[in-house]
Amino acid sequence: MSINQMMSEPLLDLRDLCIDFHTPEGPQRAVDHLSLSVQPGEVMGLVGESGSGKSITAKSIMRMLPGNADVAAHSRIHFHDGQRQIDVMGLHGRDLRLVRGGQVSMIFQEPMASFAPAIRVGEQITETIQLHTGVDYASARRQGIELFERVGIREPARRFDQYVFELSGGMRQRAMIAMALSTQPRLLIADEPTTALDVTVQAQVLELMLELREQFGMAMLFITHDLGVISRIADNLTVMKKGQAVEAGSTDRVLFAPQHVYTRRLLDALPHLEQLPQPPVTTPEPLVSVRDLSITYPASGPGQAPFQAVPNMNLDLPAGQIIGLVGESGSGKTSLGKALLGAAPISAGSVKYHLDAPLQLKAGQKIKRRPLAKVAQLVFQDPYGSLNPRMTIRDIIAEPLQALGLCRNRDEVDRRVLEVAERCHIDVSHLRRFPHAFSGGQRQRISIARALVANPRFLVADEAVAALDVSIQAEILKLLKELRDAMGLTILFISHDLSVVANLCDHVCVMQHGRLVEQGSVRQIFLQPRQPYTQALIAAIPTLKRPERGLLEGTAALDSVVAHG
Amino acid sequence: MLAFLSDTWLLWLLLATAALLWSRSRRSQLFHYIFNRYLLALGTLLLVSAIVFSLMEVLPGDCAEKMIAYKNTQGEVITEAQLAAERARMGLDKPLPVRWANWVFDLGTKGDLGFSCSKRQSVNAALGDRFWLSFGFCIAGLIFAYLIAVPFGIVSAWSLNKPWLDRKAHHSPVRRVRNSLGLILAKLADLQLRLLSYLGLALPNFLLALSIILLYVFAGEPTPTGLFSDAWRSEPWFAETGFQWGKLQDFLGHIWLPILVIGWAATALQLQTVRALVVDESNKLYVEAARARGIDGMRLWTRYPVRHSISPLFNSVGFDYQRIFNDLPIVAVVIGLTDAAALLIEALAMTNDQELAAGILFLVALVVISMNFITDVVLAVVDPRVRNSVMNGGGH
Amino acid sequence: MAGLIARWRGQHTAFKADESYYTAGQLALIKARFLRNTTGVVAGGLLGLLVLMGFFAPFFSPNAPGIEGANPDYRRGAPQSIQFCDADGCSLRPFTYTYVKEVPKLDLSSLAGGDLNALDALTSGDSLSASSQNRFIEQTDQRRYLQFWVQGWEYSLFKVEWLGIDIRSDRHLFGVDQGQIHLFGTDEDGKDVFSRTLHAIWVTISIALVALAVKLFVSLLVGGISGYCGGKVDAVLMSITEAVRVIPPIPVYLACAVALSQIDLTPVQRYFAIAVVIGALDFAALGRRLRTHILTERNQDYVLAARLSGASSSRIIWRHLVPSFSSYIIVDTLINFPYVILAETSLSFLGLGLTEPVNSLGVLLQKAQDPDIQQNMVWQFAPVGVFVLLIMAFVFVGDALRDAADPYSERKR
Repeated sequence: MSINQMMSEPLLDLRDLCIDFHTPEGPQRAVDHLSLSVQPGEVMGLVGESGSGKSITAKSIMRMLPGNADVAAHSRIHFHDGQRQIDVMGLHGRDLRLVRGGQVSMIFQEPMASFAPAIRVGEQITETIQLHTGVDYASARRQGIELFERVGIREPARRFDQYVFELSGGMRQRAMIAMALSTQPRLLIADEPTTALDVTVQAQVLELMLELREQFGMAMLFITHDLGVISRIADNLTVMKKGQAVEAGSTDRVLFAPQHVYTRRLLDALPHLEQLPQPPVTTPEPLVSVRDLSITYPASGPGQAPFQAVPNMNLDLPAGQIIGLVGESGSGKTSLGKALLGAAPISAGSVKYHLDAPLQLKAGQKIKRRPLAKVAQLVFQDPYGSLNPRMTIRDIIAEPLQALGLCRNRDEVDRRVLEVAERCHIDVSHLRRFPHAFSGGQRQRISIARALVANPRFLVADEAVAALDVSIQAEILKLLKELRDAMGLTILFISHDLSVVANLCDHVCVMQHGRLVEQGSVRQIFLQPRQPYTQALIAAIPTLKRPERGLLEGTAALDSVVAHG
Repeated sequence: MLAFLSDTWLLWLLLATAALLWSRSRRSQLFHYIFNRYLLALGTLLLVSAIVFSLMEVLPGDCAEKMIAYKNTQGEVITEAQLAAERARMGLDKPLPVRWANWVFDLGTKGDLGFSCSKRQSVNAALGDRFWLSFGFCIAGLIFAYLIAVPFGIVSAWSLNKPWLDRKAHHSPVRRVRNSLGLILAKLADLQLRLLSYLGLALPNFLLALSIILLYVFAGEPTPTGLFSDAWRSEPWFAETGFQWGKLQDFLGHIWLPILVIGWAATALQLQTVRALVVDESNKLYVEAARARGIDGMRLWTRYPVRHSISPLFNSVGFDYQRIFNDLPIVAVVIGLTDAAALLIEALAMTNDQELAAGILFLVALVVISMNFITDVVLAVVDPRVRNSVMNGGGH
Repeated sequence: MAGLIARWRGQHTAFKADESYYTAGQLALIKARFLRNTTGVVAGGLLGLLVLMGFFAPFFSPNAPGIEGANPDYRRGAPQSIQFCDADGCSLRPFTYTYVKEVPKLDLSSLAGGDLNALDALTSGDSLSASSQNRFIEQTDQRRYLQFWVQGWEYSLFKVEWLGIDIRSDRHLFGVDQGQIHLFGTDEDGKDVFSRTLHAIWVTISIALVALAVKLFVSLLVGGISGYCGGKVDAVLMSITEAVRVIPPIPVYLACAVALSQIDLTPVQRYFAIAVVIGALDFAALGRRLRTHILTERNQDYVLAARLSGASSSRIIWRHLVPSFSSYIIVDTLINFPYVILAETSLSFLGLGLTEPVNSLGVLLQKAQDPDIQQNMVWQFAPVGVFVLLIMAFVFVGDALRDAADPYSERKR
């Protein structure tokens, strides 16, 4: 097949796609005049932040838009099934199966939620195979188990008959991929397939998808917000913002010579390993010292063993620095962060704050909540759950002042609240609003403002940006840096995301299974990791990488730009 | 020895079951769970018996007074001393906890529910088949309710959040009209069902029963009250000619009324439950994922949201039974039934027969608790989701 | 800084239209969502009307509900229709007719002849039976025009005894110029069914209010203690709740009502006693739910945030936990209204709740059981219709409120 022929008959062709949502506040445009085409065998990356319309676009291809969404009459979606051109918008009834599982199939972000919990995984796969190919149960099952083997699930026959909650996170996503491949589709839509996974698993799944793409030769529409991930897999890219395609072109061109401001902003959020700050010449005095700290959660019920999250930890947190605490889920990093604030059960050891009036948390000792609250505060991961939906922003920010009785009267409280709101870039005219009026990023600012209002010395930020989009992440990170410089704050920044840590922190601690694996300056950890675990983590960071060449050769090769990795 | 065993048969049965479960529970998480549930059920039963027994204390009079009052009608003159002696004979002079303990002991060892003063026979004998009759009514009412509520609840859930008209720009005009017609039909059916179900909530059972009886009165037909018509009431089930089919026919011609009446309100409530459950499930991601695999129409609905909402529905059977029985006494009064519920009303409101009322209430609670126990166990065995949480110790 | 404060304060006065959405609290949001639900609003209007008519029943009813307002000339009388037009032409003012009691025509002449067959015919015919004793003939030539704002029996419109407030009035919304008007007919004593029904609405609703208040108190106590203390207290309280939950409630109410009937109580005391019994025994469901709510809410991040901010336990309870379920409680209470009313009616129906001279819907419904009424005074079923309407309105409003207060609709953004 020559390139010309392929160009004339794209596999998928979206022309002038406009999608409106009918909401109580009136129609809202989710996708705005989007045109896009995918050639057979091509991997098209669709990049954008949440709400940019990328998932809606994918759903419209499968004709799975929710009831209140409307595709404009002039929009066209065409799919080429090898023999003829099909008007997707005109399909109905049984014919819809062509784009639902038949020629187009989809991988969802959350494999756990995408499998029915009370039906065996294998049964759901054989059902799909039977539905589309009409083979009998036995051969459908055989095909399914074969697929399980191909996607790298060990003991495929046994796993095939299990329920989704019996599989591990990586295995679930592999099963999901096997399901999507089971009908041998021409187009695979992958909607954030690696986002919900741990970094190391993420790398494996990505590897698998690349491999399968080589073997099956199908085209892919790969949706993600993560430029690092997309740089490894996509041939071409479309960057979306608020329903519009702001930039499109070959991956190399878009990533290494971005033209649109928005693309550049997204790229800035990636870790810049060559720009890591030099470590300070002298290490500052520690503000918090952790000595022989063990954290043990009591048994949740009779017959259950108490759970030790952190055994025997020793750690010093240098004053005036942002310290990154890194580890995969379940490594005990959140427990450690909470223990520093007296919110996790300390079973042995102590936490000491070096202040004018020293403060100590010890096992078996009642926590002096008030003095501690004046010194140390927490910024939560979930910007939705951590703000009381029934209080105004002003009341939420004022909470510590009033609870600690720091102000004599209402005016003083108001003044403090306004001051801190200004500092955290919250529009003061919004203070009378309730949290439901704010987006995730704004909520996180409120959460930070609340933590700062009592002028603490120490802040624990627990995955504070994990729930936010990249560009908003960057703003919050900038804010944290500002606060460190302006107020001399010491911040313990807990994160699973190494790129964030690289962009923000001065000092990094790596945790695994409740133990401290390695610590050092950012430069040291990212450029010369000593421990194998740290090395594995660093290697798994999705930094920009040239895609492995598929069918299409890069058109605008920019070999002079060196890829990291 | 044998007499002792037969006097305490129930105790041994309960203990043997517990021992069996316990011995298995050491190796299997599932049996550990069942054993815990079993103990919990027994504990709840004990609590229920205490509540029911002490509640009956509020009823005026006691058995001795009634006994004496009965003798009084026979022309004897009774003194205060005789009354006290009678109380002592019956053990009524003992404090409440002791009497309760005695009652529970009799109940737990040989299933003896006590003595009915107004009937002057044991509660077990006074109840006889009536308990099973009530049980049958309730179960039939439940089945009736489920038969209507489940399919229509699903339809209702399906049509929720659907527009009245198809306005999709990409559909041809003919398709739009056709789709719109289908949508309107479904929406109308749903609206009517909802109205009907609200009416079921708003029209109390006894009013419904009355209205139906009234209809018969106006039509000049004999009302289908009671269990049998006069002609068949005194006939035995088995005559010399064999089984009396006529009597069965007559029986069926009467019992539909109580079943319909008590099933009605349950249907209304059940309809809403089913609807909420199915709507909840159908909003989950796995349904969308199944749709993305090309599964559609009936197959999608029955295999995914419906199948997954059966377990919680099944789980509520015990409390549904309680709710249905709750309505039965008043219905029994209106229709003139002679089942346990009617006996309960009689014992409570007319004869103040404490032990009889306590016995019936306890039996109802027993049925509810056993149903809860059975559904818990069945779900733990059948539903992989429940099994998973059981195996992982529940709390994890 | 001062400028900033001024700008913020300025926001208080200058209220922008869209700003009101953002500054709307939880309850205001529920209200806004509720108002979008057409059926809910319609049912709410109807409910409001019924409750209003019930509360100001004396004003809306043309006759006194008790025996003092009974019409001795119109016992067992059928509803009088209100008309605008008849054979004599039309009138803008609606009217009814004058009625005359039909005198049973006893043909005694044949008896005089000593004909025994005639006596038989007389006794077995329906001229002596109850139904025909009260047959009224409308005098279509004598119109009775409907008057508005008429003077009638005096009543207290609004009375709070312990404040000494007692607004008395003798004005009624409507009446006729002579005689009495009976929209729903009269009962065997000549009491006006329409007036009785209106008075019964408020009695029934106030019983439900008392019962729900008691229920709320007990549920809060049980659920609050259980949820906040946790551990052993929780286990004990919850197993008791579980045991109470499996016992059918109506027989329990019955037992209590029988016990109450032994005590010598005035109708008013009895009325409150029944309300308290119904409320106090109905704590299981709400108590359990409140407990679960507190347990989940207690583990929410925002409560932890308050704790880490140095807030004391009482501050957490009053500033965070209690407001978190107040809207839920309001909604739940409204949803439970019909069930409490049904419980009261069931008891009254069995003759164990309120009894005859008192007007409650249950008392009026009880009459529907009487075969005499079923056959000869169908109009006494009118309270049934009002009752069904009232409950339906409550159920629809409750349903719309439940949808409006659904916490999920918040999350979806």
